[in-house]
This record gives sequence, C-alpha cells and structure tokens, in this order.
Amino acid sequence: MNKTLLQINVNGKQQQIEIDPHMTLVDVLREKMGLTGTKKGCHSGECGACTVLLDGEPVASCILPALKAQGKQIITVEGLGTAQELHPLQKAFLAYGAVQCGFCTPGVLMSAKALLDKNLNPTPEEIKMAISGNLCRCTGYKKIIDAVMAAAAELRKEKLITMPSVGEQVVGSSVARVDGIPKVTGQAKFADDISFPNMLYAKVLRSKYAHALIKNINTNQAKALAGVVAVLTAEDVPGRNGYGIHIKDQPVLAKDKVRNYGDAVAVVAAETLEIAEQALQLIELEYEPLPGVFTVEDALKPDAPPIHSNGNLILHRKIRKGDIEKGFQEADVIIEDTFKTPMVEHAYIEPEAGIGVYDAGKIIVYAISQGVHYHRSEIAASLNYPVNKIRVVQTTTGGGFGGKIDNSVHILVALLALKTGRAVKLTYTRSESMIASTKRHPFTMRYKIGARKDGKLVAAEVEIYGDTGAYNSYGTAVLTRVATCALGPYEVPNAKIDTYTVYTNNPVSGAMRAFGAPQAAIAHEAILDELAKKINISPIEIRRINAFRKGSFTPTGQILNDGVGILETIDRAVEKSGMQ
Amino acid sequence: MNHENYHLPSTITEAINLLIENKGNARLIAGGTDLVLQLREHKINAKTLVDLGALSGLKSIAEKNGWITIGSMTTHQKIAASELIRKKTRVLAEAAQSIGSPQIRNVGTIGGNIVNAQPAADTSIALMALDARACVLNSKGEVTKPITELFLGAGKSAIDPTAEILKSFDIKSPGAHEATAFMRLAKRKALALPIVNVGVWIKLDETLSRIEDIRIALGPMAPVPFRATNTEAFLKGVLLQQKNLVQALSVLEKEIQPRDSLRGSAFYKKAMAKILFKRAIQNAVKDIGGEFNE
Repeated sequence: MNKTLLQINVNGKQQQIEIDPHMTLVDVLREKMGLTGTKKGCHSGECGACTVLLDGEPVASCILPALKAQGKQIITVEGLGTAQELHPLQKAFLAYGAVQCGFCTPGVLMSAKALLDKNLNPTPEEIKMAISGNLCRCTGYKKIIDAVMAAAAELRKEKLITMPSVGEQVVGSSVARVDGIPKVTGQAKFADDISFPNMLYAKVLRSKYAHALIKNINTNQAKALAGVVAVLTAEDVPGRNGYGIHIKDQPVLAKDKVRNYGDAVAVVAAETLEIAEQALQLIELEYEPLPGVFTVEDALKPDAPPIHSNGNLILHRKIRKGDIEKGFQEADVIIEDTFKTPMVEHAYIEPEAGIGVYDAGKIIVYAISQGVHYHRSEIAASLNYPVNKIRVVQTTTGGGFGGKIDNSVHILVALLALKTGRAVKLTYTRSESMIASTKRHPFTMRYKIGARKDGKLVAAEVEIYGDTGAYNSYGTAVLTRVATCALGPYEVPNAKIDTYTVYTNNPVSGAMRAFGAPQAAIAHEAILDELAKKINISPIEIRRINAFRKGSFTPTGQILNDGVGILETIDRAVEKSGMQ
Repeated sequence: MNHENYHLPSTITEAINLLIENKGNARLIAGGTDLVLQLREHKINAKTLVDLGALSGLKSIAEKNGWITIGSMTTHQKIAASELIRKKTRVLAEAAQSIGSPQIRNVGTIGGNIVNAQPAADTSIALMALDARACVLNSKGEVTKPITELFLGAGKSAIDPTAEILKSFDIKSPGAHEATAFMRLAKRKALALPIVNVGVWIKLDETLSRIEDIRIALGPMAPVPFRATNTEAFLKGVLLQQKNLVQALSVLEKEIQPRDSLRGSAFYKKAMAKILFKRAIQNAVKDIGGEFNE
C-alpha cells in the first residue's frame, strides 16, 4: 500500500497525516485523529450520522474518500463549541429536548450549522430540507426543528435561549439532561468510540442458509493468515453454548446446525479489521441444506421440519373468561377477520458494538446494552467463568427500543478477550445489524367478536400466532403479554384467547416497544370500527360503551380499581381531533 | 475498498494520461457517492482511482451561442441552485434537487450519475428529455455523443471510466414557446429512489394551441432510461385538447413495460407513470401559457 500524505484543516487546525489511499474521511477523523464525535451509523451515506462540513457544505464522511478533502477545511462537531462555550445550536438542542440517545445529534447539528451559516431566518420547511439527510429514531424531528429555530433567534440576537435549570427542584420543572453536554459536544463515548492500546478487531462469519446442517468447518487457512490472532468456533465455547432470556436455545456459535440466515458460525480476532475480514473468506464451511419453514402455518404442520429437537411450537398460552358459547348466543352482530402484521426492525442509528477486555483474571465488557446484569449472567454461563470476575459496562447507547436487550456482541467479545488476553472490539455493520438483531414479532391474528345492538361487546374468541424466528428470545413473553392485551382497553364478559409462540427459520423476533400490544391493536380497533358500522353507532360511542372503567374485569380476571384512564383518553382525543 | 493509489490530477491531460498509462487498471471517480459503496462491496475493483475533483474546468455551468454547457463534475447541488438551469431547463434543476439528501447532492455529480447508468437516475431522465449531447474525451480525442447512446443496460454505460473522460453536457438553449417539467414519485421526500420519474420537454406553435414537438423520458421502465417515442409521435402536431391527452395516455400505457420490484408493482408503476406524465405535460404547457381545452 502506498501511503499518501493528506493535508487538511480540521476545526481550524492544519493537519498533515499519512493515510492509506482507500480510507474514507470518517475513518481518518475517528481512527487517526481521535475525533469520535462523528458517528458511523450506516456506512453508506444514508443516515447522516457521519455528517461533517467540507468547505462549509454538509457531506457524508463515511462515503467520502479522505483524499477528496485534500487541501480543504473540515468542521466536525468538536469544532462547533465546547462544554464551557456551547454554540447556540448546542444550547438549543439541550433546552428543547432535541437530544435523546445522542447518536444522530452530531450529524444533525452539523447540517443545522450549514443552514444557519447561510440563512439566519430559516422557515421550518427550510430546516426540514436541511436535515432531510439525517435520520433520528428517538426524538422525532419536531423538537429538533424547534431547537434550530431557537438557535437562529439567538444568533439573530432576538431572543436568548433559556437553559433548563440545574437545581434541587426537579418535579414539575424542566431539568437539564445529565448526559446532555457530552452528547451535543461529541464527547459522549459510544461503544465504537472506545479504543484500548493493542486492541484487536473482530468479525463474525454468519450462515448463508436459513436451515442447514454444518458438515465441516476448517479454520486452518484463516488461522495461518498473518495478523490473525484467534479463529473460534462452537468447540471453543467453554461453557453453555446457548443463550436467551427465557430459553437458552440460541448458540453463541452454531455447532451442528444453522437455523436462520445470519446465525454466527465462527468469529475472528485480528490486528486490523481488514485482516479479520480477509480471514472470514478463508474459513471453509460445508453445509447440507435442510428444508426451511418461513410461516407459522407451515411450521405447525405435522410434517414440518423441526427447527429444534422439541418441535416448532414453544408455548400455547390460554385465557378463559365467562362462557364463550353463551356470549356469542347473546350477540346480535358477529365480526370475524384475520389480520397479519409484518416483521419490524428497530433500526437504531447506532449499530451493535462492544469491546471485551481481559485484565488479570477479570473480564470487562464495554458495550451497548439495555440490561447489563442479563448480559453478565449469559457471559458467565457461556464462558464457564465466575460471575464476580465479569463486569459489563453499558456505554452510551445509541437507541435501543428493545433491540439491545438481547445478547449481540457481548458474549463474543468476552470470549475473544478471554482467549487472546487482549482487548477485542466488535462492531456490526448496518447490514449485519439488520440481519442478526431481533425484530418485532410478525403476528397472524384471527378475531371473532360479538356485540349486542346497543353496542355492548359480549364475546370474543382470539387466536394469535407469533413468529419468533429461529430462537425464542422474548417470544414467549411477547405472546403472553399479547394474550392479556388482545382485547385492548375494552371489557368483554366472555372471552377465549389462545396465543402460540412458534419457531420458524426467519430472523429472531424479540422485544420491541410495547411487546406485542401494538399488533393486537390493529386487529381490535379495526373490528370495533366494523362493529360500529354494522350496528350503526359512531366509532367513538362503541369505544365509550366498552372502555374499561373502575371495577372492570380484565380477561385475566383482574379487577381494575385505580388509574383507569381510557375513557378520559378517548374524550381528550375526540376533543383534540375536533370530531363530533 | 482495496485501491492502492489515489490521484487528483490538476489537468485533464494528466487525467487521461493516467488512464492510458494504467491500461484499464485505473478508474475515474467523480463524487463517489455510488462508486465508494460499489468498491467497498467489491462489485467494482480498481487498483488506482483518478479523481476529477481538482479539475475546476469540469465544474462550470455556462451559456454560449445558443447552447448551455454543464461540466460533468458539477454537483447536483450546484445544478439545482443555478439560476440559469432553473430558468431555462427546469426539468434538470428539479431532477437534481430530488436526488438523495443535501449530503449526497453536495458531493454527487451529474457526470457520475450518468456513467453509473441506473435506469431511473433522475438527471438521466432530465437529460433525455432535453436531448442533451455528451462531450467525451478519449485517447483519440474528443467526440460528441447523443445522450440516448450512453446507456447500454442497467448499470452499464457506453462510457468506459477506465479509458474515457466524460467532460460535459450540451443542451440547446430554449427557444420561444418551449418549456420542460419533471415529476417524481418516491416513498419519501429525501433519500428515496424514484418509483417513477418523468421528464418532459415541449414546444407549442405560435398560437399556443398545438403541440409542435415533444420529448418524454421515463424511469424505471426499462434497463435504460426510456424515451416514449410512440407517445411523442402521437402528440406531435395535435391540438391541445383533453381528448388528445386521454388518447396519449393510452398510447403511453401500451409502450411502457415496467417490472415488479421492491419499490412498486408493474401495475402501480404503470398507473403512476400515466398520472405523472399527465401532470408534467400540463405543467409544461401552462408554463408556456397554453392550456388543454375541451
């Protein structure tokens, strides 16, 4: 490789650096200059987290060859303002709650700065256009737009931004985010921003088959590649080669069989990321493809290929209330329908990342997380290592929405640290994150609901099938939750609810915001509208008639005594919508 | 990406010589917003990259002797913001404005967009409607090629980026009673590839009641940007009457054959192509001061 001299001005400082000619600007900033405020979210110019200003114009630094910046001026979030002297945009983002996870924030700030540098009187439409290349998954864009308007007003010297107070009085007052300043200045350390001396880089070899037997793995060539320090397969997992919040059915590294596209089969640690990538190509794998099942209907057929030894049905959850037959006899109208909802990816802007460190008998994992104690116990079991010698430190986490509860990088970086005695970093690419992370469960829902002419619901029969993919993750919990939520906030005296958690060869579904309840809402709300039409009352009225109130019985027999807010919620929604 | 050399030549002669010396192992890079991804995924491999970014001569927009010339390295942002382009070839300004996001438009170039040869590349649709000519430099000298000859297939350009340099596009300055329009349907307003895009150039007669000439370009209807020549032929010389427009839509429906894809079904694309074309031609006619009558 011919090293090339790059001369650029970064945040006002002239820099000269020797780089490999294929480096992109984001890697020069992050790896060569330690400016980790600029983030890598998608590595394909789509998400905007890597936005920096190149001669004043916002560009996606992840797809910009570094040498394109030769002789030019770069401004990164670190050049915008400091903790002591915040730029009005940084102040406004804090004051208006425009910062949540903070991962997209540096990129959004830079796009906003480019706009305000040219236009101090932007309209909300112009702000929308300016940040249209920046994705945010937590905040939504409203607060960001408000913040940019406020920053513009302060820069015009019209109105100063009022910063939230930092004081004793917190209840009922707007308080400053404890992690706000590091997030708007690019100083917050997300997992991929952390490095250790002598650190190794890991890459995972993933299955290209949805269902197949592993006949042979040969890692000799990969191990022989200069710069490769470890190539691990199922044989190298010292403890339990299975994890999962409820059922330990997901292998750390697949042993005899792969059960979905993307199953981890081997992991490599090498001196550089490029070497680790090359080593993956050198691992020889022999598969014997098996027929796969990709719908719950196919998975539950008697002759369906079993994905796990105990068959494809994990759990059948039943709820019975009242007398269902009597209930339907009382009904004047009955509606039956089937609903299907798709798989949904959380798509947090920060991909999964973590570093395992081995330190004199202790293993420390710095990683994304939504539950460090769970990760710690899984690491201990898989490594067969004393739990009191394992620490899991949650790094600033760039969005989760339930998708970062499960194990992803955690056990692998701990295992690699233990095997190599060195710090090992594993960061997923965006496509790897999409392939290997959990999803919202796709549901197939059969509903039969009966109502009297006066609008009162009298009976409900519900069957819900949840496709949890190749491993259970939170499947049984999600399908239990939806059994209790299947009828929404409505009281039905007679109910029969059955939910089924089913294995398929699809991507794994797990936790995602509200855990199964939103899928059911699509079904029960649509049916209520249909019922209202049939008996000719308003869709609001049918909801008012049946909404939970104090003293209502839920399907599980719980009597609601306090905090039943649905009637007021309906009234408020009607009021706000202006609907009659 | 595994290229070992990266050159930023300061003259076009230096650039073409680098290509000649490297005998197919060197490849041009324009903005790189597509190429970097293709290199990273090893869909394209190049030992040496030759970046045209330092050649300011390829970044200008100018009008001279009845022709508008746009350098191949002009960014989408610069084209979209150009008063000249907005006023005289609106179809191109709007096409450039619809690409990607500010971050992409600040780096991506019109030359790169054309050589990348995607069937729905927005600026391709606009340049097809404008009947642009490309000025290409190779080892033998300069040649001029009509835009329609630049596309060989999806992702396949007639311009070889290891041997030829696309220098600029020439577009005829608009005359009297001429206008253009661009219409685009995508899932979002930013960072979304078009489901259908349409570019129209139209010339009315002096009375503003008859179509004298028209060009219609659509994407993605075929492996290459598509000219609806049957619809054009039908419309040439007809009066601005609703019934003619209705009939033109049925001619268009017969000559387009979009495919089912992730972005939309063939059925949907066909239906939308008709609607977008109708809006485009109506807008262009209105710009000239004409109107479709009963």
